[in-house]
Amino acid sequence: MTARPDPLIHPITRLSICGLLAAGADWVEFAALRDAAGISDSVLSKQSRVLEDAGYVEVRKGAVGRRPRTWFRLTAAGRQAVQGHLAWLAQMEQAVSAGARDVRQARPRPGGRVRPPRERATGLAAVVQRPQHG
Amino acid sequence: MRDAASDPPALAPLQRLRVQRARLADRMRPPWWYLAGAAIVWAVVFASPFSSRYLPRGVPAWPIFVAAAAAACLMQWGLTRATGIRLPFRNLRYPSPGRPVGIAILVVFLAADETEFLLIRRDPIVAALVAAALAVVAEMPLLQAAVRASRRELRGGGGAA
Repeated sequence: MTARPDPLIHPITRLSICGLLAAGADWVEFAALRDAAGISDSVLSKQSRVLEDAGYVEVRKGAVGRRPRTWFRLTAAGRQAVQGHLAWLAQMEQAVSAGARDVRQARPRPGGRVRPPRERATGLAAVVQRPQHG
Repeated sequence: MRDAASDPPALAPLQRLRVQRARLADRMRPPWWYLAGAAIVWAVVFASPFSSRYLPRGVPAWPIFVAAAAAACLMQWGLTRATGIRLPFRNLRYPSPGRPVGIAILVVFLAADETEFLLIRRDPIVAALVAAALAVVAEMPLLQAAVRASRRELRGGGGAA
């Protein structure tokens, strides 16, 4: 598996949808996915359509009685893209935490007191958008 | 309705995804009727060896197994509907956290079935009944462990990062 970013999956909502579908379930129902991702019905509908058009997600619509039921699952291409993107994110997270550790260790400690860092290195999006050198 | 904005904004994407997976895994809890139905199915399965003694000769036992399998499939379908999560079919070769539990369920089934046949043939019927009851009692925690393993797999991301 190659760790590489996928611009289609990178937006946080789509990452949530794809990451949840890649969690080990075969099919996940609309309500379960919506509640787990913490998004609204309309957002899930819109983003799942984008993923379906890209061939990353397969959608199956059915009905139980009068109630419509929609099920989602990742396609093989979608699974590969998600795994690559998650691996890339994991690498970035490691790099960010290693960088933050280095900064903490290099910072002087006046009077022996450890000063808390001004900003925690959790803003991964800022790191991702930073222009790459080299 | 929860909104994406309700999640702490400072959470890194992977950490946020872990929280969401934990939410999804928490849905994977079997309702009461699933466990009750599973206990009845196992009771029917472990009662089948007695058919060799009490049913007329020539009446096969396989319809009992077919009925139990059909009931198990129906319950699995109901569990999928209730939780909104359909797990992929796992055979014993597939590496998953539930594999040791799956093997244990199979071993208990085979051991109890053979023990019952042996005891019924040698005529201590009460001992065979006790063996069947113990087998049902042993299978239930194993089934719950299998569901727990599925939950753990969902929470862990199923091999994805």
